[in-house]
Amino acid sequence: MTLEYLDAGKAFDHSKLSNLPHSAPDVTRGLGYERILQARSESHNWITYYGDYDGKRHSLLEEINAGNVKDLKVAWIFQAGASGMIASTSTYAFEACPLVVDGVMFVTGWDGWLWALDAKSGEQLWRYKHAIPIDVTLCCANVNRGCAVAGGKVYMVTQNAQLLALDATTGRKVWQKPIGDVRAGESATIAPLVIKDTLITGSSGGEYGVRGHIDCWDLETGERRWRTYTVPKPGEPGSETWPADGEAWQRGGANHWVTGSFDPELNLYYAGTGNPAPDFDGEVREGDNLYTDSVVALDVDTGEIQWHYQFTPHDLWDYDSTMEMTLFERDGKKLLAHFDKNGYMFVLDRTNGELQHVTPFVDRIDWGVITRDGKVTARKYPDKEGEPCHFFPGPAGAKEWTHVSYNPDHDLFYVPVADVGATATRRRREFKEGMPYWGAAVEVDIDNMAGSVSAFDSHGEEKWRHRLDGMPMAASTLSTAGNVVFAGTPAGDFLALHAETGEKLWSFQCGSGHHSSPSTYTVEGKQYIAVPVGWGGWLEGIVPGMSGQGHGAALIVFSL
Amino acid sequence: MTTTQEREDLLAELRGQNKATIGAVLGSGTIDKATERADGTMEATIRIREDAMAWEPGVLIMPHSGVLELTIINDDKNTHACLLPSNGDKQFIGLLNHSKGSATIELDGPGCYWYGSPAGNDEGRGLTAAIVVTGEVPPEAKLDRPAQPRP
Repeated sequence: MTLEYLDAGKAFDHSKLSNLPHSAPDVTRGLGYERILQARSESHNWITYYGDYDGKRHSLLEEINAGNVKDLKVAWIFQAGASGMIASTSTYAFEACPLVVDGVMFVTGWDGWLWALDAKSGEQLWRYKHAIPIDVTLCCANVNRGCAVAGGKVYMVTQNAQLLALDATTGRKVWQKPIGDVRAGESATIAPLVIKDTLITGSSGGEYGVRGHIDCWDLETGERRWRTYTVPKPGEPGSETWPADGEAWQRGGANHWVTGSFDPELNLYYAGTGNPAPDFDGEVREGDNLYTDSVVALDVDTGEIQWHYQFTPHDLWDYDSTMEMTLFERDGKKLLAHFDKNGYMFVLDRTNGELQHVTPFVDRIDWGVITRDGKVTARKYPDKEGEPCHFFPGPAGAKEWTHVSYNPDHDLFYVPVADVGATATRRRREFKEGMPYWGAAVEVDIDNMAGSVSAFDSHGEEKWRHRLDGMPMAASTLSTAGNVVFAGTPAGDFLALHAETGEKLWSFQCGSGHHSSPSTYTVEGKQYIAVPVGWGGWLEGIVPGMSGQGHGAALIVFSL
Repeated sequence: MTTTQEREDLLAELRGQNKATIGAVLGSGTIDKATERADGTMEATIRIREDAMAWEPGVLIMPHSGVLELTIINDDKNTHACLLPSNGDKQFIGLLNHSKGSATIELDGPGCYWYGSPAGNDEGRGLTAAIVVTGEVPPEAKLDRPAQPRP
């Protein structure tokens, strides 16, 4: 006898098995370029990656201040959770910067997650989950740094190099574009930036010998407006800094994987670029290797590079320069500050890239010397095949991708400093697409770590230092007009420091290390501090002595 | 290096009730390819045989990215479920004893996507399988450089 099958029906969205309302208020409909230009004037929101185009990560909110921050308490916790197997399970991290628009929070996670939350209660309103292949090529971790919002949509990139536009009220996909070649080892982790009627993105994958690029997309349609490669072809400006008769430029790296800043008056987008590939074997790519380890100033309408400044010419230490470019003014000059992985703080004239001065910001630097006028002399690097070379800072740098914040009232930059060395031993490998292309074995020190949140003025003078207990900093700082600096540690402590003295005013143990970018906002006049907490990332390179620390996957929000 | 027959013999030592691995060891199951329709969508059937604690095929190949319509059959005399990856949200279906259902999923290519039965420890016992999207990214997503050597 043949039994008929029971009808199991049709598979449905997993989120239906939840109490999600599947909708959010239509808060981003009226949000566009004009409002983002004035983002700091609506400090009750956090509407773009750094809080404003200038990259300062400084909020004018002051309800929570140095006098009352000791009373800060948990307002709500969002537990992300997960089911099923994911790519790079052991290295996923909660790296995002939460955006907030009129009471609604948009935050990305690892493995293709994006959540819309009620910013007052923490209730999840909707969620989006992109399917990420488990074998996706990820150099460093399964992470995403955030989203962008405008015109009724939320924009994010995915680990398998897709750009998505979602309906901000439902989380439903509006359009999708492939923005990289996963077969070549490309991925994407950057928070997109809305400028005018476009969106700027970059790519990840420098450890796999890809060719870095910065892309501009139409906000409405997703049509690509321009692409600028950060490694020039033969004959293009800068190509003379690569071997003329070789193939090195084709695999040169220089990926833009952290959001840049923007000066609307100059119409320039300041993009940091990553390490050259292979990271440590410089013999196969002789020359300065432009535009690796650089800031490139792009005309946002055309993508044309207007000027560049290279922080580490012919990098042999994996010193990406992707991290923030903070725009500020001093003595009537339009300037740009950058704290590089190579251990030096650079101040440039942002109209033309002219160097103003260079200053070290970490105690131990022995890879080389950069004089105050910018002359670079390399001293220690993996040179001979098989010969170990120890140097400070290690490949994670004196500050990894995580961001400084800047309080203009005090002219102080709050820097998450990592003081860790490493040993690299050159091991040449033949290039093959999609395979790791480092050119060395690398071992990062695990028993000789240090770190701090350090405050430097714009001239490079250190004003105070909050030392961590034998560990580096690996999370962005947040500055507020309440005279407080917020910073999370690898050990899980979320700190409030006095902006002028560095005195510890408050701390909360979050149960997992910090590797994200906190933000602040108000709802109905009440100020909140939001911090994604989830320890992970490229820990064997950043803080190997803490790589056994437990993971987390929570967003914790504080208020008085 | 084992021969094909030796491999089958060794796997047989693991596969089955009260052996070391009740279900199929990852990557040791059957393999099949989805059928492409005229409109570019794809279709395939996945099923759980009685007492097998394994999806069949263990690896399903999609010839390119896009939409896949699955027929899902539970021939087992126990209840299971299926949680599938798809753009937008994971797709869930409960699978009573001897039941049949369907799912429509959308996947980007290329890459390997895992799915499983999120019931009890079905996934650990063998009810984990893969859908592998083959092919290349579209031309507009490729890097502007000459063809590179691959492994």
